[in-house]
Amino acid sequence: MMIATVFKTSTPGTNSLMSTSSFDQADIISTVEFNYSGDLLATGDKGGRVVIFQREQESKNRPHHRGEYNVYSTFQSHEPEFDYLKSLEIEEKINKIRWLPQQNAAHFLLSTNDKTIKLWKISERDKRAEGYNLKEEDGRFRDPVRITTLRVPVLKPMDLMVEASPRRIFANAHTYHINSISVNSDYETYLSADDLRINLWHLEITDRSFNIVDIKPANMEELTEVITAAECHPHQCNVFAYSSSKGTIRLCDMRAGALCDQHSKFFEEPEDPSNRSFFSEIISSISDVKFSHNGRYMMTRDYLSVKVWDVNMETRPLETYQVHEYLRSKLCSLYENDCIFDKFECCWNGSDSAIMTGSYNNFFRMFDRNTKRDITLEASRESSKPRAILKPRKVCTGGKRKKDEISVDSLDFNKKILHTAWHPKENIIAVAATNNLYIFQDKVN
Amino acid sequence: MLAKGLKRKLSDYEENMAGVPGAFDSNPGLPYTLQRQLVLNMCLIKLQSCRMLVEPNLHRSVLIANTVRQIQEEMRQESSHEGSNICNGTSPIPDTFAASQAGIELTGTPSSVQNNSLDLNSSSEFSESQIENSLVVVSDDDMSSAISSILKDLDFMEDISPSPCPISAGEGDISTDISLGDRPHEIKPAETVFGSFEITNSTSYLTDLAFDDIFEDIDTSMYDSDLCLLPLTPARSAPAIVDEVSKPFQLCNSTSVNAIQICRVDLSDLDHIMEILVGS
Repeated sequence: MMIATVFKTSTPGTNSLMSTSSFDQADIISTVEFNYSGDLLATGDKGGRVVIFQREQESKNRPHHRGEYNVYSTFQSHEPEFDYLKSLEIEEKINKIRWLPQQNAAHFLLSTNDKTIKLWKISERDKRAEGYNLKEEDGRFRDPVRITTLRVPVLKPMDLMVEASPRRIFANAHTYHINSISVNSDYETYLSADDLRINLWHLEITDRSFNIVDIKPANMEELTEVITAAECHPHQCNVFAYSSSKGTIRLCDMRAGALCDQHSKFFEEPEDPSNRSFFSEIISSISDVKFSHNGRYMMTRDYLSVKVWDVNMETRPLETYQVHEYLRSKLCSLYENDCIFDKFECCWNGSDSAIMTGSYNNFFRMFDRNTKRDITLEASRESSKPRAILKPRKVCTGGKRKKDEISVDSLDFNKKILHTAWHPKENIIAVAATNNLYIFQDKVN
Repeated sequence: MLAKGLKRKLSDYEENMAGVPGAFDSNPGLPYTLQRQLVLNMCLIKLQSCRMLVEPNLHRSVLIANTVRQIQEEMRQESSHEGSNICNGTSPIPDTFAASQAGIELTGTPSSVQNNSLDLNSSSEFSESQIENSLVVVSDDDMSSAISSILKDLDFMEDISPSPCPISAGEGDISTDISLGDRPHEIKPAETVFGSFEITNSTSYLTDLAFDDIFEDIDTSMYDSDLCLLPLTPARSAPAIVDEVSKPFQLCNSTSVNAIQICRVDLSDLDHIMEILVGS
């Protein structure tokens, strides 16, 4: 399962020769998402911009460029806002992007910041009309008196122009910060989740949403748990799951009632008493939850591990994969520098046979569920020249450090890979390392 | 808070003990109570820095507060079990430190929890004492009051349904150097942590406001008339509150003969409302 070949490293808005230490904070990538076909890859950044990459079609003329991703469209999705009532600035950082399945020539995606979700339409224009009756070609209006004949405008080809326009704005429904959005399998509704509530929206209706989960206690002083992620089931449009900061997942059925405060299933793994520490609760907080494509499994990411659950078994996960167990002895330092609060995401491959998640030092990990093999790779400029083969990396935990290994204390905790995405059909992955996007592909001879 | 890269060579690591948490991680032999104290102090410092931020992260604050509560609970249980055993100073103090007792002050307060409070002024060369010097040891009382006073000021979150629990009166600002339990604070539960996370109604969320929740036990029919409710329009800040309050009470202009009679009835309801609005 050797993933190899780098196609592109892309730093939107910055000179690629600049060192990473001097990049603009606004360029930090905050979300990565392939669309349903995998031909489009969207990234959102801290500056509120969305950049969409499109996979180049195979062509005999450029055989080496098969399947390269090039910039397709860039637009400003969210602007910083100011809430006058609270005297607070609302960050424009894009927290999540979710694509809608394609139904016509245009592409639609949902992008959200902390408070507002927007539906964007991305459409191509490659023809323009020539031969208007009332206008000259340069745009000047013709004198109607002079017009003696009528003609039908003709469509002429033009350079491809990709336009993004906001079609819906879903605002003012969240008091707390939105952490997740998820499109329902009915393709008509979607859910949005903040720290304490989950709302269900209809894609056509922007002035109202249904609150389906509310864990806010009557007395805020009793608050001990927040919602950290939520996702709709891929096939059953009445089912969704949400994870909490206490390491639990709740599966809810919307048919049960208007308010899904009562869960249908409750997933929690009992804590291993030998691993108990002051930070046990913090590291158990789930940062991401993802259903498998087949809908039978659920994957959760907590600080040190990834767990795969069977949707029908609530007592314990099916599989647990240690991402960076060597950090367990460093928890206090990681708490002090706030790294312990980093929210890593995780993703499935198209066939649900492998999972991927990020770590520190620009490392990311992939686990094969069938062979139980795992690999650590690095997304960095040095090791990622185009068409280079990635070398597996290893972190040394013991005393003797072998050549090519890196010791735990040398890890750079500023270089974290929080966002990764896997192509829905092929072995192509997108990895966001701070302000750089790396796309890797399985080498095919 | 910028993440500090832990790029240190293994050999330098133990010498460079400037990082207290580094000491925690690399020195598992540290006594448990000391470890706990370290963690607790870090938590409090973090909560304090939360206060500096304009809009603290709720997730983070919840996790830190839970950690503090957990430690508090542990300390309480411990003190109730061990009682005066800790008083003679045998268990928590490492032997290496015992040599430099010069500056140690043991507070002789009867509160069993405060047995863990040691003001360590020693300037010993020992690495563990360095840790202890950098510690600001906090008593249980101070901890709870620290959390509540810090976060009480975080009046940033507003929400649809106002909190029925009025925010307690000011306790006074907490200074950054938390000292021994000299200050006579009441023991407030750490649960007052999030009381300040919300102020009341917002005009932005009018569409799905749930007035019924707060006022369901109040018969508002009598207030549909021109009952003079001006005293009830709260003296407190936000005009948003006035808008929300006036809606269910419908401050009408029409006069009614029965107004005065209705006025006398159910003053207890008025008191109840007053309590909610004014936040006694």
